[in-house]
Amino acid sequence: MIENVNVSGYARIIVYIQALSIYRISLSLNNTFSKFSTEGKIGVLGILVIILMAVFAPMITLYPPQKITGDSLESPGSVHILGTDELGMDIWSQICYGARMSLTIGLAVAFISGFGGGAIGILAGYIGGHVDQALMRIIDVTMALPSFPLLIVISAFLGPSILNVILILVLFSWAKPARIARSQTLAIKKNSYIIAAKNYGAKPLYILRRHIFPEVMPVLFVLIIGISSHAIIAEAGLAFLGLGDPTSKSWGMMLNSATGFSAIYFTPYWKWWLLPPLFILIFLLLCLAFISRDMERILDPKLKIKKGV
Amino acid sequence: MKNDRNSFVFRLVITLFVILAINFFLPRIMPGDPFSTTSEDDSGDEVIIMTEEQRLYYMSYYGLDKPVHEQFLVYLKNLLKADLGRSIYYKMPVSDVIMLHLPWTMMIVFGSTVISTVAGVILGTFSAKNRKKGSDRLMMAGMIAFAEIPSFLLGLILLLAFSVHFRLFPLAGAITPFAHYSGPVEQLWDILYHAFLPVMTLSLAQLTGVYLLTRNTLITVTTKDYIRTARAKGLGEKTVWTRHALRNALLPVVTRAGFMIGIMMGGVVLVESVFSYPGIGMTLRSAVVGRDYPLIQGILLVIAVSILICNLLVDKIYSKLDPRVAI
Repeated sequence: MIENVNVSGYARIIVYIQALSIYRISLSLNNTFSKFSTEGKIGVLGILVIILMAVFAPMITLYPPQKITGDSLESPGSVHILGTDELGMDIWSQICYGARMSLTIGLAVAFISGFGGGAIGILAGYIGGHVDQALMRIIDVTMALPSFPLLIVISAFLGPSILNVILILVLFSWAKPARIARSQTLAIKKNSYIIAAKNYGAKPLYILRRHIFPEVMPVLFVLIIGISSHAIIAEAGLAFLGLGDPTSKSWGMMLNSATGFSAIYFTPYWKWWLLPPLFILIFLLLCLAFISRDMERILDPKLKIKKGV
Repeated sequence: MKNDRNSFVFRLVITLFVILAINFFLPRIMPGDPFSTTSEDDSGDEVIIMTEEQRLYYMSYYGLDKPVHEQFLVYLKNLLKADLGRSIYYKMPVSDVIMLHLPWTMMIVFGSTVISTVAGVILGTFSAKNRKKGSDRLMMAGMIAFAEIPSFLLGLILLLAFSVHFRLFPLAGAITPFAHYSGPVEQLWDILYHAFLPVMTLSLAQLTGVYLLTRNTLITVTTKDYIRTARAKGLGEKTVWTRHALRNALLPVVTRAGFMIGIMMGGVVLVESVFSYPGIGMTLRSAVVGRDYPLIQGILLVIAVSILICNLLVDKIYSKLDPRVAI
């Protein structure tokens, strides 16, 4: 970020804003963490462990995830900690590298659709009128679409790649943050301090940045956690159906290849081939859920967020 | 109010239109066309299967040389005649393939809706009555943690536990293959036995939603004045709960049940894959694997339409149950 500073004056301003808000976010994060319940703290720690696993995957694994490094279907032992799959690839490596896939997709989808949808919602709520009406109609239709079946069909047609999966998921998840950001903006807009600021000659952009965005931000943050867990589930589901990116091993792909292995249920292989990706997926989703519940609880007195119907 | 309901139906129509448009345009924005096939002979040289003349003939035969909007109209017209095209894999009309598998899906989806609604209401009522006691807290915590496990992972766990480890339930299928039944009772038993785990999975995945909704609405309802009035009249605690509190709290639960069918129709694809249950979800999976595009589109359409119908029904039932809505 620091190298960017001397690119242009414009970029410098952006970096300054980013630094400010990141500082503010980290402060508020620190405050929120101390308010977390035990579950919430477990959730945060669990997510941290999985992030560390993903980041340091090359250091904590002995073998590359997509190379044949052992016999086919070796049981867990000292050579391969969690054993190997049918091609002789190390399961522990696949789990660690698979964390990258889940986290990337979860975070990318959540941030793009959370902030993108949020920005659209804030703008529409602030501008109002026909723009707002049109956006609401689009949001209504988007939310009424059956997302998972459409997801399957679109990725079956467009071909499986990480980028496609992210794009399609964003397309289906921006509507909720947009709607909530819009209704928040509508409520905030009526406050007298905003009207006062306007009367003092504040430009719309200033009001949006200084008054509305910081207010909507916490809600968006909670939504982002929810969206990321949805995205992780959707990716795992698609990969489980055989629609994952074939060039990378994600947890869903592991489930797919394990359940696709004929007669796996009549052998003991499922114990080390099927259980690890299953448990780590559930663990990740539970951690995300704990965090999101706690954040909701902390924010609740100020804001009411409707959990998905 | 009238206006509101019109816009609701209008929204459903628009949604249906969007789905139809996606269904229609997706194959057409893919590169290539169905007749520009080439193949390779033994030596690896490309062999052109069709001449340009033949290609043009087939293009006009299938109406692919017409402008896109005319093709779309033809597509809509065929849909009205329930003509969804022919499945590449099954070599029969897509509508027949769907009709063959849809009953299984309907059975497990409706079964789970009933089970999760009934169980959720009972547990929710229990929890609301014992509010702030240990049993309520314990149940809440357990249910909430439980709700975050997506249905197909839950299904895998149940399958591994009950079918693989304990060998109590079948691993796959909806009936015992090549079975001869001595009577309809035995056949029904076999079907229920095979449907048990899929239905359990779907119901458990939906249970928490109903439970929380019942509990929270009941808690809100019990603070209302008419409950106090009912108690003041000297009605028994049981009458107050069932006739006054639960009756009002059930309204949102009914709505929820309708939407639940929609959610399950989406999730059932994965759950059926886990249990190799021969509904449309499993068919969709095999269609995806086999790139049977007409079948994929047909199944999407059926799922989407059934979700929209459920939403419409919920709206209708709701206004019947709650006279305040239908003014």
